[in-house]
Amino acid sequence: MPAKKIPTFAKAFSELEELTQWFETQDVDLDEGLKKFERGLELAAVCKKKLSEVENKVEKLKDKFNDLQDE
Amino acid sequence: MLEEGRKSISVGDYIDLINDAMALIPSEEIVVVGEIVGCRISQGKWINFDLKDEEREAKVSCFATTFKVKTPLEDGMRVQVVGYPKVYERFGKFSMNVEAVEPVGEGALAKAYMLLKAQLEKEGLFAVERKRLLPRFPQRIGLITSTEAAAYGDFIRILNNRWGGVEVVHTPVHVQGQHAVREIIAAFAAFDRLPKAERPDMLVLTRGGGSLEDLHAFNDEQVARAVFQSSIPVVVGVGHERDESLCDFVADVRASTPSNAAEVVVPDRREVWREISTSLTRMNDGLDHKLDRQNQKVESAMRSLRHFMETGMHEMRLVIDQFSHAFDRFRLSLVATRKHIDTLSRLLASYDIKNILERGFSVVRRSGKIVRDAKKLAPGNDITVQFGRGEIQAEVK
Repeated sequence: MPAKKIPTFAKAFSELEELTQWFETQDVDLDEGLKKFERGLELAAVCKKKLSEVENKVEKLKDKFNDLQDE
Repeated sequence: MLEEGRKSISVGDYIDLINDAMALIPSEEIVVVGEIVGCRISQGKWINFDLKDEEREAKVSCFATTFKVKTPLEDGMRVQVVGYPKVYERFGKFSMNVEAVEPVGEGALAKAYMLLKAQLEKEGLFAVERKRLLPRFPQRIGLITSTEAAAYGDFIRILNNRWGGVEVVHTPVHVQGQHAVREIIAAFAAFDRLPKAERPDMLVLTRGGGSLEDLHAFNDEQVARAVFQSSIPVVVGVGHERDESLCDFVADVRASTPSNAAEVVVPDRREVWREISTSLTRMNDGLDHKLDRQNQKVESAMRSLRHFMETGMHEMRLVIDQFSHAFDRFRLSLVATRKHIDTLSRLLASYDIKNILERGFSVVRRSGKIVRDAKKLAPGNDITVQFGRGEIQAEVK
């Protein structure tokens, strides 16, 4: 079993949430706001890509668990 | 004589003999069923109770240790007991050395369940404060359930419906029957042993509904403790809504069914997509709002500038008008003054020459110009001669 990959979705999603909050709590500086909005669009694209994944992979924990399977 | 043809032995040897004889009973193959009466525990270690026959007038004293028997016992419980018969030489009393006790029948199971539940609750296994939060977007989920059960299919189906890209690590176990408890405990241990990077974000222990007897593994004290001790947050989803198990109470998150467990562990992609869209809209709105405000600022700045300019111009025009009026007046007065001065100066000049003429001089003019030299005149020239009083026209001869 490989090590878990970088949680791109969770990261992207939470960054998106932070950005949204920024827009709602800060006195938006226009230039900065534009930059952040662009970033938000990028993040949304990353998230959307992840959302289009439909497959879940099922594997059995065999190696570490075979002592039980043998019984 | 009594000893004729008989062997004489001591009391101790006699008891040994009885115990040896009873050792021939195939105790491993026997389960004695009866009702518990007079149950008491001394020093937290020794359990004594009588096992009463349910029909006949018969009972057996039983002795057990809390080390071996973990099920809380209570008078009136119907149990099945595995143990070895023994006569204690000191008291000459027969009793059964209990190896294992298990409640039988729904009533007894229910009672045992309530007792264990109370005990675990007292120990703090159900405490809300210790419940851990699940990550919203898990990458790896450990699934502990039977492959054959509908629970497995339901869980995977709902999981796939809702979310993708998750790695499900399944450890197949029996969820009922004699191996269930051991296998479930081993599954938790196996997940716990995984290196941190390989550990799932959460574990899901699930099975379909069933009778209290079917659910015994989920009401087992050791399984409950395994859930409690798991270093990974645990979701337990057993049966249909009305079913409850001890594992439910210990779990970090309790799901009502295997399907509900899937709903608990992963978000719905449609919902998340809506959230993302909303986020973008909100950001867009924030930006729009800002733009609007900036525009308003610019507009208001323009307005005040225009206002300033307009009022400035107006004032300037007033000043210019006033100035030009004043200037006009000034110019008129200048003209008047000049006229006045001219008149005055002409008057002054005329007064000056009159004084001389009065004394008898005359002034000769030709074409309006004073003639100062007689040589400038020639015969036939028309001249004007001005006297102190009056003048005449003359011709030079």
